[in-house]
Amino acid sequence: MKDFQEYIESGRLEQYALGELDPAARAEVEDWAARYPEVRQELDELLVGLGVYAEAHAQVVPAGLRERVLGRVLAEIGGAAPAAAAPTAPVAPAAAPTMRVSASNPRPAEAYAAPPAAQRSGWAIAASVALLLSLAANALLYSRWQQTSTELVAAQNSQARFAQTSQVMERRLSSTQEQLHVLRSPQEYKMVALAGTPAHPTAKARVLYNVAAHRVYVDVQQLPALPAGKQYQLWALDKGKPVDAGVLAANTAAGDSIQQMKDIASAQAFAMTVEPAGGSVGPTLNTMTVIGNM
Amino acid sequence: MPVSDLPLISTPPAAEAALVERLRAREQAAMTEFYDRYSGALYGVINRIVKDEEEAADVLQEALVKIWHSMASYDNSKGRLFTWVVNISRNLAIDKIRSRQHRVGSRTQGLDDSPAAMRQAAPDAFRPEHVGLQEITSKLVPEQRQVIDLLYFGGFTQSEAAEELNLPLGTVKTRARTALKILAKLIR
Repeated sequence: MKDFQEYIESGRLEQYALGELDPAARAEVEDWAARYPEVRQELDELLVGLGVYAEAHAQVVPAGLRERVLGRVLAEIGGAAPAAAAPTAPVAPAAAPTMRVSASNPRPAEAYAAPPAAQRSGWAIAASVALLLSLAANALLYSRWQQTSTELVAAQNSQARFAQTSQVMERRLSSTQEQLHVLRSPQEYKMVALAGTPAHPTAKARVLYNVAAHRVYVDVQQLPALPAGKQYQLWALDKGKPVDAGVLAANTAAGDSIQQMKDIASAQAFAMTVEPAGGSVGPTLNTMTVIGNM
Repeated sequence: MPVSDLPLISTPPAAEAALVERLRAREQAAMTEFYDRYSGALYGVINRIVKDEEEAADVLQEALVKIWHSMASYDNSKGRLFTWVVNISRNLAIDKIRSRQHRVGSRTQGLDDSPAAMRQAAPDAFRPEHVGLQEITSKLVPEQRQVIDLLYFGGFTQSEAAEELNLPLGTVKTRARTALKILAKLIR
């Protein structure tokens, strides 16, 4: 009589209820509970107490989760358990015949009955089917994963392209703003019209010259097309002497944009000649295309 | 009184046995019924342990699948259905926090009683027999509740709890035992 009272006081039953015991210790508690109704009653009381405590923390599963969780559970149990296997025998689970949850945290259920051997071969088949299904699912997931990573690479490439484009656009915008500023500042920039020489009557360009800042821009309206290996070169004429003001880029010569040229300290006229690509030290006068005085 | 008004732990054995039979017979409708009756309690325990609604939903799903597959090994002579299923859920949740080494970082932080943690949704319907948190808070002294929380939701063993709370092991055992007996009386 005193035995079981001591056992009740030992704290073993609480450990059992809280799932702290290993299978051997659990079997011992169950044995005591089977032999002594007092132990059984005490154990039940502890389990009820924990049940009350657990349920007091009940929460309504957030809206939307019922469909998701229950839907997945039904899909999983529907797929994993072949319906034909069910009706006659109470079935042992294919995936988890015993209920080991965690070695570090064993629980009472683990000691519950193992499935009879006779049912095992049927379940071997079921397990094989489950394995095949799982392999198929893996293959599917793998291909989706691959597709996703391909798509990711494509998205990254297109993002890089956009970044590049936007850099280009930014550069163009700042140069356009600069040109606009030049064109809209008549008091800072003096406009010098360059007219075609008799050999090139349709040629037309202008130079925008900031005398104070020595800055020179050239703006082409119309210039004859150049032979290969040649470039237009701008000259400032200062007291009759030609000073190199730089060569015109192809898009400048085509009239697509205005171009800042070399700084010129002083000039009374500007002229353009055709020179070998890269420019010459002195102008080739017989190729002069346009000229204009300030 | 309808069965659904009773605390889960005192569901009549016959009603429990009927549900168990149907689950064992692989009746999917029984799983839906099981879900509607037990998911709130299981989710509450899981959420209290993992402290993350998304993760709690995942663990709940895992637990339900496990319960379904393990039904054959449930033995009603060893305990109530609710005790068994809540243990499965609780163990999966504790495994989850252990696997993410939850306790390494937040062990001393213990179980919070912040408004978020205490925010228990109201039961679906008025259940006069249902024991609520308020009643528990009023019946247990804070020291008892702290011990039970650590043991039940923190996954601590009694020795670990003694160490954590800096108390003699005997004190922890007494508090746990007293608290559980008080709780059991709440539904008498």
